[in-house]
Formats: sequence, structure tokens, C-alpha cells
Amino acid sequence: MVLKIKHLKRDFNKSSLLIVIISLLLAIPVFAILISLFKGTGEMWEHITSYFLIDYIQNSIILLLGSGIICFVIGTSSAWVVSRYKFKGRKIIEWLLFMPLAIPSYIVAYSYVGLFGYGGSFIKFINYLGFNNIDNIEMMNIYGLVWVLSFSLYPYVYASTRLIFQSYPTRLKDTASLLGASKNKYFFKIALPLASPAIIGGLFLVFMEVLNDYGAAKYYGINTFTTGIFRTWTALEDLQSSIYLSAILVVLVFVLVLIVKWLRGRRSYNLKTYNSNDQDEIYRKDLKGLKKIIFLTIVFVPILFGFLFPFLQLIIWGLQTFESMFNSDLLNIGIQTLFLGLSTSIIIVFLATSLIYLSKWNYLKQLNVTSKLATLGYVIPGAIIGIGVIKSSHSITEYFSTYHNIKIGYIIYNSILVLIYAYVFRFIAVAFNSIESNTLKLSKSLSESSNLLGFGKIKTFFKIDFPLIKNALLTSFILVFIDVIKELPLTLILKPYNLSTLAIKAYEYAEDERVAEAALPALFLIFIIGSMISVVNYRFKLNKS
Amino acid sequence: MKILEIENLSKSYESKLEVVSDCSFSIESGNICAIVGESGSGKSTLFRLIAGLERPEKGSIKVKEKIVSNDKFIVAPKNRNVGLVFQDFSLFPHMTVKENIEFGLVKNKNKKVEELLKIIRMENFLNRYPHELSGGQQQRVSLARSLALDPSLLLLDEPFSNLDTELKSKLRKDVRTIIKDIGTSSIFITHDILDALDIADEIIFMDNGKIIRQCKIEDIFKDVKNEKLLKSITELKSNSDLILNALKNK
Repeated sequence: MVLKIKHLKRDFNKSSLLIVIISLLLAIPVFAILISLFKGTGEMWEHITSYFLIDYIQNSIILLLGSGIICFVIGTSSAWVVSRYKFKGRKIIEWLLFMPLAIPSYIVAYSYVGLFGYGGSFIKFINYLGFNNIDNIEMMNIYGLVWVLSFSLYPYVYASTRLIFQSYPTRLKDTASLLGASKNKYFFKIALPLASPAIIGGLFLVFMEVLNDYGAAKYYGINTFTTGIFRTWTALEDLQSSIYLSAILVVLVFVLVLIVKWLRGRRSYNLKTYNSNDQDEIYRKDLKGLKKIIFLTIVFVPILFGFLFPFLQLIIWGLQTFESMFNSDLLNIGIQTLFLGLSTSIIIVFLATSLIYLSKWNYLKQLNVTSKLATLGYVIPGAIIGIGVIKSSHSITEYFSTYHNIKIGYIIYNSILVLIYAYVFRFIAVAFNSIESNTLKLSKSLSESSNLLGFGKIKTFFKIDFPLIKNALLTSFILVFIDVIKELPLTLILKPYNLSTLAIKAYEYAEDERVAEAALPALFLIFIIGSMISVVNYRFKLNKS
Repeated sequence: MKILEIENLSKSYESKLEVVSDCSFSIESGNICAIVGESGSGKSTLFRLIAGLERPEKGSIKVKEKIVSNDKFIVAPKNRNVGLVFQDFSLFPHMTVKENIEFGLVKNKNKKVEELLKIIRMENFLNRYPHELSGGQQQRVSLARSLALDPSLLLLDEPFSNLDTELKSKLRKDVRTIIKDIGTSSIFITHDILDALDIADEIIFMDNGKIIRQCKIEDIFKDVKNEKLLKSITELKSNSDLILNALKNK
């Protein structure tokens, strides 16, 4: 023990201190919720458990299972087709399959009403094809919501799985064939199991987005945990009960995390053990006949329902409402969205990079566990973080007012700083994971060489690490930027009254039954996100070459 | 003067198993010393401790008779005047040969780079990037970069492990000549006893984190008591032609 204390004195440095301070400051909303749990349930808790809780649990499970299964099928099958087969326009299709990520799921949900409702564009189209007996496809129910979420979230599975499928060396397939495996056996016994860690990782992101969804579920009138947390806090005015609901949702999230960990187990396959020359040119087979029709359907259906149909519907609405909607207010909201996205993303990338490097420079490695606290936000739905931030803001203003007679409420409530803080906690994991995976690729001996050649840690960072990870920093900046400008529940809870974003504007119009007017802000948002996705895609290709 | 003195040095990681266990030895100034041991015997960790890249659990390290690591304090790697050439050479991939060599220099950059390039016989490679060099060339640049700061002690981590047999034999001679010309002290680690016989003045054998023998190269076959070591030395003796050749070439 004496020895340990001696070492503590020797090994504790500024990095150790900073890592603890930053992590604890970021995790305040989690602590606020945990502490509140000891204060007992709120007044409406009995009412909620009697009438709503079962509904919340049932619906959330149906949504998770339904979208999980559909995303798995669509994501893996489309990834397989574009990775292993040759056909005209494959490169564009590969890119289009990502595009549903550019349309937030709540906007897809609004557009579906215009597509499949009475007199909807899709209905008109199928009537034109001769199916006159269909005048409406009912989408505003839980199965419709499963459909909407599945077609807007499958790219998470597609993206991770495609990367794995494209890294399979040709000799893997050759070996299986020489051992007598049929095509089906190769797919189900080799290709799919090898991709399982990536599929599970993609599905986990789908689950988190499903649990985080507020806009689509609210619009379709489906009771989920997130809509319940909102209703309990705003309509029932019972913050304490909404905290209890949040706690149940957090438990559900951690059960999911455990299931994912259990499923993944020790499954981390290193495809690099194969000759890397094999991977330079992926061998793709030609598609012919019936197989061609089936496989092209596999890739076109998700593009149509996840991107093209909703996008075209928004364009139709956008043109109809252009004159009344395209004004300085919309431009102003666009500028506010860009400002919020840019400033938050810069702060997040800076803090994530700091946490990663402080962990490297800290010699008391046990303290690095605290950085895990700071990155918990991505597995906690936005509504819960919003409630946690409000609860902690109450406690902080009360503390300063009671013990120091200082009124700081005006700084905290209705302030953009609180919203940015909440975004930082919610999305820092996105930047952290992407930057960390890139720093891990850098040989440790590079920075050690610089240290031995007389450079300190910060100078080493700027001279050696920064030039080598600047692409990763830019990519994570863009990923965070997209997440921030798409975000809805957290922004709804914490935004100052004089601030609006494109996401909020689209939501407000849709809630007001003016769904056509929601199209222009939505299109504006899609345009920004689409351009950003293209930049990431371009940089990815550039890096690869 | 002793360039390096290590006393009761121990290091363990999270597994609690001691990777370096109660090691004590010293090295005279101007000598080239080889640390020989199998993979996992603790050689690399011992190196990292000497360079200041790891912190010891107990024990002390002195460089040029000054304490640089003990229980109470640690001198940062950049202030130890110890150079380290990593096994993977660790050349900065975004810098040219010239930029790599002058990286740690503050003054007389051009003159020093010129001198070193002459020593490593790579005057024409000034503006090449590391990926445009062969393995042997990369190693020489890495060696020059470390030597640029005139280190009191130069550490070489498995310097010949990534090279083919022909290049290895040539580079052994090169490395010894360069180190002896500059007049610095050096330690290198290897699992190949022939590397040690070829260029070292003295040799330390490590096994399971412990030092099992330290001797002059000419005393390598005298009074071997450790069984494991005895076995490998006997195997080595049986290939006497190789050893004689190696000693002759030195």
C-alpha cells in the first residue's frame, strides 16, 4: 500500500487531473438522474404504471425486434449484392444505399403520409398502374413505424457489413469451393458468421436510434419510452416520474449493451491474416437472368422506400409551398442550424481528442475508466439526457442561490450553452470512437521516438500525431455535425425560446398538421447532410487510394 | 565510468506477473552490450524502463551516475539523453529523410544532417520519404536520427530482426562501425546469439524477466551454471564453425 501511495505521488500528473475533471463534468446528467432516483417516485407514477408502462414496454420491444430483423435482412443482403456482384450503375447504387441516413426518420415518417395516405403520390401511382381498389395504405400504426424506422436505419447495418464483405479475400471463397462448399453454404457458414461482429455492431446503432426516436413515434401516435418521458414531463408536469421512466429505459439500454457484448463474445476476426494483395481487386460475378432481377430488387427496394420515395414526396411538397416558405426566416433558421452544428462539432472534436490524449499521457491508467463515463451519452437516448440536464441545472442554480446567494439561473435556463453542453455529452462518443480507432492505428513508437528526441507531449502531438490523424479529425467532425443538426428530442427539451433549427421547424409544422410546409426545412436539412455524407465518402475513397 | 547502473529493477503490468524481476547490472562507458533472451523474457520492457517510457514498480536506474528512475521520481524520456532505435524503425512517415534526422536538432541542423548522412552512406536520399526506402536504409536513417542528439547511451531494439540474412550480416558490421566511430555506449536486444557474438563487447542473458548471466563476449563459454543457458550454449558450441567465423569477422 505504501508503495502504491509513493507511486501515486510520482505518477499523478496534470493529465490525470484533467481527465477526471472533464469526464465528471460531462457525466453530470447521469449523476443527476441517479441521485433523483433516491428521492422516490413522482405523483403521477401510479397513473403511468397502471395505464402506460406496459404499452411503453410492449411497443418498444416490437419496434426493436421488428426494425432489428428488417434492418438485418435489408442491410446484409444489399451489402452482399454490391460487394460480390457486377452490374451497371453499381457504384451509384452503393452510394444511394447510404442516402437514407441523410433523411432523419421523423421526416421519412411525415413524407409517408403524403405517399400512402388518401390521394397520396404512391397511391396515385399504383392506381395509374391499374390497381384501382387501393385508395390508402394505413401507415400510422406500430407496423408502419417499424417500416419507417427500418428503411431509414438499415444503412447502419449496410455500412459496417459492406466494409467486411469487401475485405474478404478471393482465396476465402476458393478455399471453401475446393472443400466442396456450395454457394449457399459459403454464404451461411463462412461469409455471414465472419461478418457477425460488424452486423451486431450495426444493429446496436439501429437499436439506439429506435429508442432515441421521438418525432416519428409522436407523429404516428405510438407510445414509446421517449414519447412517454416527454408526455410525463410536459403534459403531466411530473419531472420525477419522467426520471423514473428514463431509469427504466437506461436499464433496457444496458440490457441491450450486455446482449451485444454476449453475442460478440470473443468474435473479432482478423482478415489481415490473409494476403492483402488479394483484397486489391475484389472479384465480382456478373448477374444474369432471374437472379439479376431478384438481386436488383434487393438493392432497389431499400433505396426506393428509404430515400427516393420520401425525397420525391418532399420535393413535390417543397415546390408546392416554395413561394410561401422560402423566405428570410427559413434562411435565418438554416444559418442558426449551421452555427449550432459547427460550434458544437468543433467543441466535441476538441474535447474527444483531449480525452484520448490525456488518457495516453496519464500514468495512472485506472483513472482512464472515468473517460468511459464521459462517452456514455451515445447509449443514452436524447430525451433522458435532456431530463438529466434540466435536473442538474435545477440543482446547480438552487445550490448557488441557497449557499452563495448568487443567481445564475439566467445563464443556465434558456441558454444555448446548456444545449451545446447536452449535445457534447450526447455525441462525444461518436468523435471519441472514430478518433481513437485512428490513433490506435498509429504506432506507439512514433510519439515515443519524438519524446526521446527531445519533444514534449503537446509538441509531439502537433508535429507527429496531428498531421497523421487530421483526416480522422475531419471525418469525425462531419459525423458529429450530421448528428447534431438531425437531433430532435434533446433540442426540443433544451433549446432557448429564440433559437430554432431546421429539424425543429420541420417537426413544428408536421405537428401542426401542416406537413407540406415541413418539406422545405426538411429538404434544406437533407441537402446539408447529403453534402456532408458525400464529403466523407470522397475522403474515404481518397484515403483508400 | 559506468554509463548505466540498474539496481533491483522490477516491473509488472495489470496481470501482476513481473515482466522484469529484480534486475541488477551495470555497463561501462563506451561498450556495446547485447541483451539476449527468448520472446517474452522481458528484454523490451527493460529497454522501455531504461528509456523512461515505462515506470518501474521498484528499483532504480542511473544514467551517467545520475538517478533517472526510482520510486520517487522519473526523469522524462526527452531529458535522459538516451536514444532508442525501435524495432519497426518508427520513422515519421510524413517527413523526408532530412526532416526525420533533423527532427530533434535545434542548431547546426544542415551540418549535422550532412555528417550523419555521410556516416550512414545515404547522402543521395535526403528528400526521400520513408516508404521510398528499403528496410536496411530505413534502419540506418533511424540510427542516424537517434545519433543526431549525441546520446550518452544508445538503445537498439532487435535491430536486425526485420532483415534478410545477407543484409543482416552487412548491417551488423555497419552498426558496430558507426557506434564505435561516434564513440557512444550502446545496448541492443536480440534473440539471436550470433548478433551478439558479432558486434557486442559484453552480453547479458535474460530469462523470465530475470538476468541469468552477464559476461564479456570472450567469457561466454566459461562457468555456465544455468541449465537452460547451458543447453543453448552447448547447441551453439556444436556449431563451432559459425562462431569462429563470426568472431573472425568482428
